Amino acid sequence: MPERKRDGAGMDAYDEEPEALGGPAGPAGARRAGGPGTSGEDTGLEGPGPTGTGTEDTGGADAPDPAPRAGLAALSPRYRLVAGGALAVVAAVAAVHLGMVFLSLAPANTVSKRHAKAVEGWVYPEFEQNWKLFAPNPLQQNVAVQVRAQIRGEGGDLRTTGWTDLSAEDGAAIDGNLLPSHTQQNELRRAWDFLGTTHGTDNRPVGVRGALSEQYVRRIVVLRLRRDEDLDRAGTIERVQVRSRTVNVPPPAWSREKVSTSPAYRVLPWWTVTGDETEAGAR
Amino acid sequence: MNRLSQTLAQGLERVTGAALGPYQSAVIRIGFAGTWLLFLLREFPHRQELYGPAGPWSWNLAHQLIADNHAFTVLMWSDSRLWFEVCYLLALLASAALLVGWRTRTAAVLFMVGVLSLQNRSVFMGDGGDNVLHLMSLYLVFTRCGQVWSLDARRAGRAEAARARGERVPGDRVGPVLWALSGAVLVTAAVTGRFGGGWLVPALLWAVWAGLGLWWAAGRWTRSQQPWMLLDVLANVLHNAGLVVIMAEACLIYATAGWYKIQGSRWQDGTAVYYPLHLDYFSPWPALADLMSASGVLMMIVTYGTVMVQVAFPFTLFNRRVKNVLLVLMMAEHAVIAVVLGLPFFSLAMITADAVFLPTAFLLFLGGWASRARGRLIRRGGTRRVPPPRAPEESTAGHVGFRA
Repeated sequence: MPERKRDGAGMDAYDEEPEALGGPAGPAGARRAGGPGTSGEDTGLEGPGPTGTGTEDTGGADAPDPAPRAGLAALSPRYRLVAGGALAVVAAVAAVHLGMVFLSLAPANTVSKRHAKAVEGWVYPEFEQNWKLFAPNPLQQNVAVQVRAQIRGEGGDLRTTGWTDLSAEDGAAIDGNLLPSHTQQNELRRAWDFLGTTHGTDNRPVGVRGALSEQYVRRIVVLRLRRDEDLDRAGTIERVQVRSRTVNVPPPAWSREKVSTSPAYRVLPWWTVTGDETEAGAR
Repeated sequence: MNRLSQTLAQGLERVTGAALGPYQSAVIRIGFAGTWLLFLLREFPHRQELYGPAGPWSWNLAHQLIADNHAFTVLMWSDSRLWFEVCYLLALLASAALLVGWRTRTAAVLFMVGVLSLQNRSVFMGDGGDNVLHLMSLYLVFTRCGQVWSLDARRAGRAEAARARGERVPGDRVGPVLWALSGAVLVTAAVTGRFGGGWLVPALLWAVWAGLGLWWAAGRWTRSQQPWMLLDVLANVLHNAGLVVIMAEACLIYATAGWYKIQGSRWQDGTAVYYPLHLDYFSPWPALADLMSASGVLMMIVTYGTVMVQVAFPFTLFNRRVKNVLLVLMMAEHAVIAVVLGLPFFSLAMITADAVFLPTAFLLFLGGWASRARGRLIRRGGTRRVPPPRAPEESTAGHVGFRA
């Protein structure tokens, strides 16, 4: 299965198609780095140029009216051939690149399905993108991630805490904030999305990424729990349990729609916390 | 037939003879570098949690994912805290250097390395804004984005003026030192096998490095100007292609966002905009969101308007007046999104992407206004008056490709 490497950096898009990749013709080998990035005064190496021309930015400002011979025309035939060839290659690479990106963004279609491998090979990992911004439909539910823990006290007693709503904490941190941090807006939200897309409905992890996402969520919740000083002082966290609480956003007052606003829970099994997770954020 | 070949020749001369859109490329350079710089400063207190080796997305987790997706990040070169701090600091400095256009090409490469390294290290921390910066940092490397509004341009202007007065201009020292330094880093990384995985970014790094060396050497080669002129043409070609890709990328973003929305029932029934305003993660100002969504008619207009603008934008590029109206609308919408949905960096990145389509005349006006403001500020500060930046040459505007 062609896995998405980045899992849609999007902020939203909840009824996203599982896989909308494809690719056109164009052997993967046709890809070029685009040639050397030579440049003018901005090179970091000042080449005064034989003509003392350090100033292309004036673009022949004070040249007489008939445009000065520039570009290809100013080159000798041999050099013109090289430049012409380079121009053709650069134009071709740019065109193929845009075609590949287009096919990776478009819904799966005749062309992109046939050439899925080539498109993936070209676009991943550095040109991956997802622009289904609040599309096809915006998310219409508030998903809150909550956690509780079993704590072994100094005396060896085992205590189970109540549920802590970590998303509510994020929400409170975002309220009235002109510059929300990624740690408040993206970290937990996207970690939970990641876990959702790599787990079956039976909460079992799928593939390597499923295991990674579990560890990730575990590290986040342990880090967040340990910020609570009382809890941290009470003892060591032995096990944690995570659940999500999903509530529909109530429809607008001016609409006649009705949706249930009772929460739906997804409860994961208890996880044992290892030493690796408790070091998260412990500098 | 004759006319066709003449047009073709003129076109060839344009794309090989000049790096088009100097002001547009400068404004996106400043915009993207500034967005990333502000982001890094804002997240400075949270840098460990976001990208540090002991953060929740730990070095080990990242290592396992990257072994699979082959993304480029220098943060995988070592799991030490010190290495991370050095990289974060360098990423900050690189964006500052690119912002002011100091050794622009080298700064653009370092900027790209910084963006890719941090974002690929922790892919699950980002959002659409990070995605825009990720792509644009790669594309910016190909452009000559320091032709105007940069320290490089100022230095070149001064050298030119000195030469015109018949003075000897001392040779450049910083450039060769930077080049040698980056060469040493590249060689070390290659020899110690750090460039595992993907070949694209390492190849790009080597290519730019070799290109800069050639450029320098060709500038000293006194027997013929031709090699240097060839490199100049190549640089123009790469710049123009890069700028086209950047503009096309902006169109793809809007087209994708718009066309997928059309398929959504909420965008059809006119309530879509209501929902993000009521998500806990995207509503920093609930009272404001309630106020905005109090009117069903207004919500419907904004919902339909958003889709129309996003779908229409790429096509309006063929008509400068309509395009400019849409640019204003889109920038305004993103400014609102910055505050109302709490997405300042995403919005800033998108506004910057829009700015590549701004008319040259407007950018010149903006530049003049900025330099006057700076002049006033400096005079008030009591320091001596700085000479105004060189007047933007009219002919420059003349060879701007998409002069709007």
